[in-house]
Amino acid sequence: MAPPPACFRYPVHVPIHRLADQLVNQIAAGEVVERPAAVVKELVENSLDAGATRIDVEVVGGGLDAIVVRDDGGGIPQAELALALAAHATSKIATLDELEAVGSLGFRGEALASILAVARFSLASRTAEAAHGWQVGGAGAASGATPEPVAMPCGTKVEVHDLFFNTPARRKFMRQPATERRHVEQRLRCLALARPEVAFGFSSDARRVLEFARAAGTVALEARVNAVCGKEFLTNALAIDEARAGLRLYGWVGLPAFARNQADLQYLFVNGRVVRDKLLGHALRRAYADVLHSTRYPAFVLYLELDPARVDVNVHPAKTEVRFRDAATVHDFMLGAVHGAIRRARPDAEQHRVETFALPARSTGVAGAEDTPRAPPAGGGFSYSAPYRAGLALGRPGAGMGVGDWALADAVRRLEVPADSVPAAAEGDGNYALGRPLAQLLGVYILAENRGGLVLVDAHAAHERVLYERLKRQLAAGAIPSQALLVPESVRLGDDEIERLLAEREKLGRLGFRFDRSGPESILLRGVPPLIAHTDCSALLAELASGSAEGDSRHLFDEALDAQERVLANVACKAAIKANRHLTLAEMDALLRDMERTERSGQCNHGRPTWVQIGMPELDRLFLRGR
Amino acid sequence: MNIVISRGNLLSALQQVIGVVERRQSLPILGNVFLRVSDDQLELRTTDLEIQIGCAVQVQNLAPGSVTAPARKLYDICRGLPEGSEIELQEQEGRLRVKSGRSRYVLATLPAADFPELEQIEGQATFEMPSAVLKSLIVRTQFAMAQQDVRYYLNGLLLEVADKTMRAVATDGHRLAVSEEAVECTSEAGGQYIVPRKTVLEVARLLDVQDATVKLGLAAGQLVMRVNDCTLVSKLVDGSYPEYKRVIPENGDHCAVANREAVKQALTRAAILSNEKFRGVRVGLASGVMKIETQNPDQEEAFEEVSIAYEGEDLTIGFNVTYLLDALNAMNGEEFALEMRGPDASGLIYDEKIPQHKYVVMPMRL
Repeated sequence: MAPPPACFRYPVHVPIHRLADQLVNQIAAGEVVERPAAVVKELVENSLDAGATRIDVEVVGGGLDAIVVRDDGGGIPQAELALALAAHATSKIATLDELEAVGSLGFRGEALASILAVARFSLASRTAEAAHGWQVGGAGAASGATPEPVAMPCGTKVEVHDLFFNTPARRKFMRQPATERRHVEQRLRCLALARPEVAFGFSSDARRVLEFARAAGTVALEARVNAVCGKEFLTNALAIDEARAGLRLYGWVGLPAFARNQADLQYLFVNGRVVRDKLLGHALRRAYADVLHSTRYPAFVLYLELDPARVDVNVHPAKTEVRFRDAATVHDFMLGAVHGAIRRARPDAEQHRVETFALPARSTGVAGAEDTPRAPPAGGGFSYSAPYRAGLALGRPGAGMGVGDWALADAVRRLEVPADSVPAAAEGDGNYALGRPLAQLLGVYILAENRGGLVLVDAHAAHERVLYERLKRQLAAGAIPSQALLVPESVRLGDDEIERLLAEREKLGRLGFRFDRSGPESILLRGVPPLIAHTDCSALLAELASGSAEGDSRHLFDEALDAQERVLANVACKAAIKANRHLTLAEMDALLRDMERTERSGQCNHGRPTWVQIGMPELDRLFLRGR
Repeated sequence: MNIVISRGNLLSALQQVIGVVERRQSLPILGNVFLRVSDDQLELRTTDLEIQIGCAVQVQNLAPGSVTAPARKLYDICRGLPEGSEIELQEQEGRLRVKSGRSRYVLATLPAADFPELEQIEGQATFEMPSAVLKSLIVRTQFAMAQQDVRYYLNGLLLEVADKTMRAVATDGHRLAVSEEAVECTSEAGGQYIVPRKTVLEVARLLDVQDATVKLGLAAGQLVMRVNDCTLVSKLVDGSYPEYKRVIPENGDHCAVANREAVKQALTRAAILSNEKFRGVRVGLASGVMKIETQNPDQEEAFEEVSIAYEGEDLTIGFNVTYLLDALNAMNGEEFALEMRGPDASGLIYDEKIPQHKYVVMPMRL
């Protein structure tokens, strides 16, 4: 018989023994310090907890060769330096009560010990009272030597060299230095957003990469957000500041039309802590549910503040997950605030000024040239001159439908227009937000004139949204019927899933689902909502039951309703006017007025913008007027 | 291959077989019709690998042979030629030449040897019946078949044979139609056969003939039907059909008898103002009167009253009006009976004179 594999073989008896401190710390390091970015995060959070107002981070070789973090915080007295390196030694908490209401970023007392366990390490610190700084260090373990005096300004400096020098296996998992550097930079951007009142500097291989000045007040915070997320974000974002039931949410959510192809512009902070939380993520996804295509990601920078006692951060060593004492309240608050902002937003004149419509210097010159070859649809600079004019050439006989269609659609897509929000209703004397219709462009777009200039409306997308919102209102207003099934369907589910469904039986009944328990692990589906009666309802119910396992029962109903609304979205899309449908001025006027009354009319069900504004200054610029 | 045939004969033969040919093909040869000439007969055959229809017509045979040619194109050309014209089909160098008067067409062909053929299974139970009987079984039930349901066995019609009767059953899970006819069987036969939806529609089309005799062969996994010169072979759905007998209610205590046409028209009118997605209507029974009411999300309302024969407690049940109308449309008697037991129980619709045809409709809670 073949011997069992090595990992299954154990000797007759090995006495139980205590692990060496260094090994304990190395095991802890496995959780806390998984890559250079994690080291930077731990050290910077220490600096923030020490009350620093400026933090400088330097890395060499993506942080694998060296990481240096300097701050101007309170510093560590000489007597405590050696203890600071020991595991489970911290100044941040002392009792369980303090742990349960912890306000500092760290509290486990593990970071320095863990880093020390896997790197060559030195810690130098000077308090305001001390005449000079003191330094301790070690490689893999504290050297045990007494602190040495060192010349330095007030604050703390931590140097980490040769990360993972004694754990070659971990070192092999590291990516290219450039990749690790990017991770460090990304983590720092996050931290910089979390604490705008602190100045941050970051250099890599002696090259300055980031520099954030201290920011205080809204304007400065906006500057910080601009620096981290890019200028387009704030131009295309809605500000939120809401407080309710001891919760406060502020920050910005991107307009649905500004959605991204990846989840790269998503920053969420809970009490200043960078968090990637399932519950909050779900609330945000739902808030954007029917204004965004499922493959697009919303952009947001949001700060959630609440009493530290109401949130448990002691869930995960890296503290990226949190647990709320009243998850349902937080979820609903978050959903309500973001949803409300998206729904209620009114256009403001500033936001609708399309700054980026300006021509880049390069194409300004060619804008007037008649025979400029058309810019390719994708890539490179924003050069819409030729296609834009081709699209606008209303009466030109030669302008083929296909070309015009493509070109204008393309041009519009490239306009960074905050094409969102409910346009303000009439302000008397026929001053409509979306203006008076002038004509229909090649059977696709409505041209309208308002005080700001030209409004372009995608008639199909706009009509689709108007119909969809109407259908949704009808669905919500009337009771949802339930079509009884001739042969009840047996759905196999886990015991606790069934309990969960049964607990919400009445509410699900109002959404059209009727069912009974038929055995220890199955329920009998007796009635389904007619809207989705011809789809696989038992699969949907099973999905609902398992999906709500994580969060509160609320999700259950949301998803049950969503499934039906998705059908409505399809109905609306099919029922909406199609391209090449000739519209009279009266019809166009009615559609524009409908849009002004409809919530979320800024984008169609798939998240495409329904209208854009092209202001007079931009039009003037096209013709070089007033230059 | 070289034949001369009248347009009328060729067209009617093509009409018999064209329904099987899907408009979009992944396998090019499935878009073709198989043509074979021997003696004075032209044999045509089409297939989608699930169903195969063949038929034979008399022709003037100039040279025997076989070939396959694009079915729909040949059919469209044939249809477009003037009535009463003669058509000559000639295969030449891998092309099919179609000549009629001064019209000439050349069609691409594929080798006849490559054309797939469904083998007929031995040991079938065979039945002989007038075409009208099978037609009636299908017409009375096929509307209730499911369409693209995940429960694939519902996307078809159940033929159940027992005790010299054949029963057709169709359901989409919300309503059920069952119809029964006496048939002659050549052997002791019994069993359940699920006929795919497409086959049902094709069979119904082939049965549009007067006073013909249908020979139906049923075996595990296969159905063969012969009527006149046509032969249809189809695979059957492999699966077990739900126990439909259990869901047919018995002894409903609220039984009403009404004029079919009057109720049908009242329902059709009321349906205009039902929710266009849910199609829900409330059907109320009271002494001597049936009340039909509905409303839509725009708060528009419809009320109808029809005199009926009913003695009993008042009762109101919600239904999908489409299901009721489908059932009433499939009947042909002057009157019908409606049996109900309660607002959450199924309703039974049937003709008291021919009670072997029944319709079960599940209520909708409105």
